[in-house]
Amino acid sequence: MADTNPWQVVTIDEFKRPSAPTVTRVHQRWQRVLRLFSRQEIEPEEEKTNDEELPDNSEFNRKPAVTALDHYFEEWLEKKETTVCFLLDPPFSGTDDIARDWAKQKKWKLVTPPDINEIMTVDIDSWWKKQHIEGKWLIDDLSRYLVRTAEGLSFIRVLLPHILRGDFGQGLVTCDSWMFEFIQRIWRSRLPRVYCFDAAGVELLKQAGIHASDNSLLKLAARVRGNLGVAKAVWLLEKNKDRKLPALPNDADDLTGFVLYSILLHRSLSVDLLKDILSMFSSEKLNAQLLRLEQFGILQYKEDQWQIDIVAYPAVRDFLSNRDFLMDAF
Amino acid sequence: MDSEQVLGLFKKVTSGTIIEIAIVIAAAVALIWFFEKMLPWLAERLHSRRRLLVLSMIPTIRILVFIVAIIWIVPLLIEPTIQNMIAILGAAGVAIGFALKDYVSSLLAGIVAAYEMPYRPGDWIEVNGTYGEVRHIGTRVVTIVTPDDNVVFIPHLKLWTELIHNANNHDANLMCVTNFYLDPDHNPGQVYRVLEDVALSSPYINLTNPLLVLLDEKPWGTHYRIKAYPMDPRQQFQFISDLTARGKQGLRELRIKFARVSTDYTVIQNQK
Repeated sequence: MADTNPWQVVTIDEFKRPSAPTVTRVHQRWQRVLRLFSRQEIEPEEEKTNDEELPDNSEFNRKPAVTALDHYFEEWLEKKETTVCFLLDPPFSGTDDIARDWAKQKKWKLVTPPDINEIMTVDIDSWWKKQHIEGKWLIDDLSRYLVRTAEGLSFIRVLLPHILRGDFGQGLVTCDSWMFEFIQRIWRSRLPRVYCFDAAGVELLKQAGIHASDNSLLKLAARVRGNLGVAKAVWLLEKNKDRKLPALPNDADDLTGFVLYSILLHRSLSVDLLKDILSMFSSEKLNAQLLRLEQFGILQYKEDQWQIDIVAYPAVRDFLSNRDFLMDAF
Repeated sequence: MDSEQVLGLFKKVTSGTIIEIAIVIAAAVALIWFFEKMLPWLAERLHSRRRLLVLSMIPTIRILVFIVAIIWIVPLLIEPTIQNMIAILGAAGVAIGFALKDYVSSLLAGIVAAYEMPYRPGDWIEVNGTYGEVRHIGTRVVTIVTPDDNVVFIPHLKLWTELIHNANNHDANLMCVTNFYLDPDHNPGQVYRVLEDVALSSPYINLTNPLLVLLDEKPWGTHYRIKAYPMDPRQQFQFISDLTARGKQGLRELRIKFARVSTDYTVIQNQK
């Protein structure tokens, strides 16, 4: 099974991004140079109609991924150790959904994240008691366990030793890849047993329903750095010749980077929490920045939360990389 | 050396030679002007290491164009034999020695600066108590812009005699130090943790660089320093302001008293 399943679980050190053909790499660099010299103001996106909304990235079949996860962790589960494994979840890759499906199949308990009061007061004991967990468990999103403020980092610092010592038993922790890099910075040492799904290649893209030549799929995989969810969204968008991938406004500045990085780190943020995280900036400046990025299709506002638009993720990643933000490993 | 001998060093200058010299000078000036406009413009659209790399090319390109122009023009005017060069340089040396000593000294220091690179565009340097970002390295002076937006022209001559403190040495990493002065009666472990988290939660911090919180006991209290790096050297002041403001807020929430020091650095006892 493992040999034919395009979904493969690997350790973080084994992860390899798909490399683009040389022509594509040269073309991408040339596009970057052209953007540097371009004086043309990038126009905000026209308002999307309902017909133009892209399907959710979760619309690919997750069963083979769940099978791959099951196969990979079989030996670990048989050992019945009280160890914990970390599964990294690049944005929009669907890894968190896959982990939830697997845990449901295994009848593991899903841990409820702490609320903001519990994070600020570092109330680990009462938070864990409320879970009523006796067997194995899944934390499906570790990025909800901290807030990047001076008061919001202590909860995760106190929680990690408990988890790593096995105080809570055997479990799987899924963590957003950007937040994981940040947590390693707080923790100041490498966390053990860190895994992820290998980069999506041609076979996986085909299995996900993306129909194109092998060469085009190779280029697509390289462009999106092996992220299946982003690949599908980009492919669907580019099928419509009238639509282009969103780009950041020419006047994107330091505050743009801070807002994007904060939202990416936490997956999504309410305005109030963003104001706490970027407390040195006025509400007016933050709101203006959020609305401008929404106009350009970089952010979307859903259920009271701001989040990065899936098709804007490559542009956002590129922008943050050029400004020396702490990048994820993907 | 009499005037006939001096004139004999020079070639016959025709109108064609003059036109050629004029074209070479015009082309050199145009090229230098173009790069001095284009490269800073490009650098402003880049960040961090890439920005500094582009800025560093400006003085090098200027010197290269200057040297090529000299190499082109000199043979048009004189036969570059050893005898002729010695004669010309000898005469020039007397003029320089009497009238243009400091100017030429600055010119030479500028060439040495281009080679040794004690400072480059984009560096933050302090010379004689003046701190600012190097914006332009001219032939005779280096132009820096201070945090108060004052433009200061520093002759390269200072290179020979003054200490030049370079805060980032053409690197994107510029360490910022944020100071806190606290009353001695407090829990240092608590303060240490708060200040570390204040730094880690700053949007400006470069998370790939080290972060240190240091403390130093003084007669009047405890001096804490956060040593950390912003993502871009130009953010240094906002970074320090951010750390200071949020650090003070965090320490006040812990009800930690700040040391109060008068202008002559004697301790003012805190009123309870």
